[in-house]
Amino acid sequence: MATTEDRRELLTVNMGPQHPSTHGVLRLELKLDGEVVVNCRPIIGYLHTGIEKTFEAKTYVQGVVLTDRMDYLNPLGNNLAFALSVEKLCGCEIPGRATVLRVILAELTRLSSHLMFIGSMALDLGASSPFLYCFREREKILDFFEGISGARMMTSFIRPGGLAHNVEQAMADRISAFVEAMPGFIDTYEELLTGNPIFKERTEGIGMLTADDALALAVTGPTLRGSGVALDMRKTNPYCGYEAYDFEVPTGRVGDCFDRYLVRVAEMRESVKLIRQALDRLPGGPVQTSDRKVMPPPREELAKSMEAVIHHFKLWTEGIRPAPGEAYVGIESPRGEIGFYVVSDGSGRPIRVHERAPSFANLQALPRMTEGGLVADVVACIASIDPIMGEVDR
Amino acid sequence: MAVDSLEGVFAPERITATADGIPTVGVPLAELLETIERVRGELGYSRFVDLTAVDRLRREERFELVYLFYSMTQKAWLRVKTATDGEAPSLTPSVAGANWYEREVFDLFGISFEGHPDLRRIMLPDAWQGHPLRRTEPLGSEPVDFTVTRRVYGND
Repeated sequence: MATTEDRRELLTVNMGPQHPSTHGVLRLELKLDGEVVVNCRPIIGYLHTGIEKTFEAKTYVQGVVLTDRMDYLNPLGNNLAFALSVEKLCGCEIPGRATVLRVILAELTRLSSHLMFIGSMALDLGASSPFLYCFREREKILDFFEGISGARMMTSFIRPGGLAHNVEQAMADRISAFVEAMPGFIDTYEELLTGNPIFKERTEGIGMLTADDALALAVTGPTLRGSGVALDMRKTNPYCGYEAYDFEVPTGRVGDCFDRYLVRVAEMRESVKLIRQALDRLPGGPVQTSDRKVMPPPREELAKSMEAVIHHFKLWTEGIRPAPGEAYVGIESPRGEIGFYVVSDGSGRPIRVHERAPSFANLQALPRMTEGGLVADVVACIASIDPIMGEVDR
Repeated sequence: MAVDSLEGVFAPERITATADGIPTVGVPLAELLETIERVRGELGYSRFVDLTAVDRLRREERFELVYLFYSMTQKAWLRVKTATDGEAPSLTPSVAGANWYEREVFDLFGISFEGHPDLRRIMLPDAWQGHPLRRTEPLGSEPVDFTVTRRVYGND
């Protein structure tokens, strides 16, 4: 495409949808003037599977299974967001042990997601060893998930009304030993990357995003905090008792890729602090609500109580039937504000479930980050947003 | 808490309380942009969070558009709702972040946003027929694209 005024030729390059650094199936249509990106147009939808439509045909408990598949690096966080919305609709109380366990599980997921982020960002920029170190620890966390729920990634463990079942004390001890060792591991990643001149050259001053731009583009999470806005739903709109924990909200200074990396590393240290505090205060007791319209009665009651049998039958044939209405609870996923807008008409299936997906909004900021920069830096920008296409396309 | 603060600003019959405690303001379509401008400016709910639609099949204006805003100072959400039968004014010229959200609603519900700079399908191929999140579209299988049943989709 040559114009008469300046004779520069713009080259259109399709990056993706199958490209190792696009974290899934993201396609970018780049218009290049030599090495400089003039225009960047993200094209999404390659992973669209109609999850929001599928929700309308599932009961609320079946819906939990779909939430794992949206952001597959944050399965427990997604379970939690959906469960909180449904619980708002049902108006049920969650026992203390379940609430504290939810915090532990959500923070472990955040750790595993950020480990993936550090590893893949380093790999995208050409450093292959941090990836191996990060996966060593990520495997341990996935082992915990397997021990707790039976599944490494698609856990479906946090459900409306509490948890699927209790977590053994032996597992809590293993998690405790792991978080004691974790700060040392984080030091290792930082030794490999934070002071690394090659890594810094590839990320410092690259992909700048100002706070105003980020807010206007509905960006949230570490991508927004990298630009210096301390917005974290755990602090501003606490859920699961986060207001009772002592933790900081790290922010960046200039809003480049390096800041977004630093924010996530600092967040991992905060997550370790949170898990430690939660393990210290982990109370005993049940992990499911006593509201029989939401959670089934315990097995031993079924032999003794007719009412329990009726509740059991109604719950497994019709599912949870929340009062007509709507609910949205925004929580902090590793990628930003996630919330499920659930609309009920009083039946056993929702009439609409919409996920406010953080990656979807964050990805809108990609043109702002990349335009005017070099084509080689596009990779760093994508990595620093850490998008998950499963929840972008849904 | 926030519901009370809205009572002087909007007519009481327009404010509803929802299960999640997020105050909800329902306005006719004609007053949508004006209301959003007020909500974002005067009331301080400046951060655009979310936009989606609900298909209320039996109502006369069947689509309910649901906007969600967040106030950085009050640390609270506010929901604005309106009803439409297929057209709505676009928010994108004033809120850049609404761009993809409006495209998504256009794609999956078939609501067109007037004044949107680039209203194209976002999730589905351009040549797709229909809008899957409408309740009139059945949940069914999608024919698999084999060579013998080859159907040519448009680009992106």
